[in-house]
Amino acid sequence: MGGRTASSGGSGSFGDALSRAAAPIERARGLPNACYADPAMFEREKARVFATTWTCIASGRAVPAPGDALPVDHLGIPLLLLRDKAGALRVFHNVCSHRGMVLVSEPTRCRSVIRCPYHSWCYNLDGSLKATPHVGGPGHNAHPALDRRQLGLKPVRSAVWLDLVFVDLSGTAPDFEDHVRPLRARWHDFADRDLHHPGPIGSFTLDVRCNWKLAVENYCESYHLPWVHPGLNSYSRLEDHYTIVEPGAFSGQGTRIYNPLLGQSGRRFPSFPDLPEVWDQAAEYIALYPNVLLGAHKDHLYTIRLEPRAADRTLEHVEIYFATPEALEQRYQPMRDALNQTWREVFEEDVFVVEGMQTGRTSPAFDGGVFSPAMEAATHGFHRWVAERLAGPDLALIG
Amino acid sequence: MPEAAAPAAERRARLEAGILDAHARGDLAVLARLYAEAGEHEHAAARTDAACFFWTQAWIFALDQGDLTLARDLEDRLGAAGRMPPPA
Repeated sequence: MGGRTASSGGSGSFGDALSRAAAPIERARGLPNACYADPAMFEREKARVFATTWTCIASGRAVPAPGDALPVDHLGIPLLLLRDKAGALRVFHNVCSHRGMVLVSEPTRCRSVIRCPYHSWCYNLDGSLKATPHVGGPGHNAHPALDRRQLGLKPVRSAVWLDLVFVDLSGTAPDFEDHVRPLRARWHDFADRDLHHPGPIGSFTLDVRCNWKLAVENYCESYHLPWVHPGLNSYSRLEDHYTIVEPGAFSGQGTRIYNPLLGQSGRRFPSFPDLPEVWDQAAEYIALYPNVLLGAHKDHLYTIRLEPRAADRTLEHVEIYFATPEALEQRYQPMRDALNQTWREVFEEDVFVVEGMQTGRTSPAFDGGVFSPAMEAATHGFHRWVAERLAGPDLALIG
Repeated sequence: MPEAAAPAAERRARLEAGILDAHARGDLAVLARLYAEAGEHEHAAARTDAACFFWTQAWIFALDQGDLTLARDLEDRLGAAGRMPPPA
């Protein structure tokens, strides 16, 4: 494999590579190959990129009813999403406090408690310890050596926004509201809307043989649109696009001309109520670092949660939400089908690109590449953010 | 076997068979009911330890199944026998 690795490069060569990625775009080089293909670097990303910020692990719609529990393998750590009796979504480490048994191994609906399948210790839906059967001997359900108040499920700091469930494994990231404040401000027209999901037709997953960052990078920029998505030019041309960069938070692209036809009838989906006129023909596509891709339109919003499975494999979980409940009515079904098909085709058109770039990162003739200062500031903004997080506080980057 | 012991032995055998069958089928609601009945059987015979073992089994399956009426009744019985943790 080409490129420097975290283990072989030390702080010198690898640090230099990170510094180059964080340099001004005219002088910058992309992240080195190791950041895409080296399993050791993937492990470093888990600790430095994902564990220390707000990372998306699921959609809230996966646990729709009180008592619903969903096990999640988050970068190798077993977590449990749980909707409590009041309807609030909680995230816990999915292990029993007794002997570390995984509590829930498949989606389930808990009626009143979560019961460990090993010794049947039971937890309330708020995570507190409810029962420790026979722990003091047969038929004795307490023991003075065990402080039940200290033995509840271990909570994970979590937040929900746009039906996306985020966690901060470190517990030390800035407040979630601070994390999303820049995007919430930009998208204040969409940020707190009710979203309406159509069910299975609004969900699909792509299994892509690429590093998760390539999916982000490709999503951020419009430069590739006329070559990879020629169909989009019929309603959204390259010259109508603009670049979005919010350093340290998100980046992406927007279009001033979004007006797709989803059938011959000329009918449109209902728009979000009271939406400012600017959105009549505009749309924006933003990557909220690290692993959420979003698309906002006057009539629907989609989310893509990137689930890194390995250095060279990523699952892309797509959820499409509509602006009004009317869009879920039967008369809109052909248009919903068409919208699903449209986005599926667009995202599938990107697969050969990101998989091709993944293969390219095994080449000794490539180690980061360059950016178009005119077209790829969004991608570079993401590289800079990753480089700074990988470098950590002990490495001063070139500003 | 003494004559009076025969019905009790039959009842116990029936409960054991039912419990094994419910375990095999994964029918936790039935397990809660049968274990509670087994606890009553032992309690009537003044075998407190055995009763509390069965009541504990019944309590856990009742909690799992969301049968909170039965669960609370069993908590009361176990509590009266000093087998529950002190209130938080």
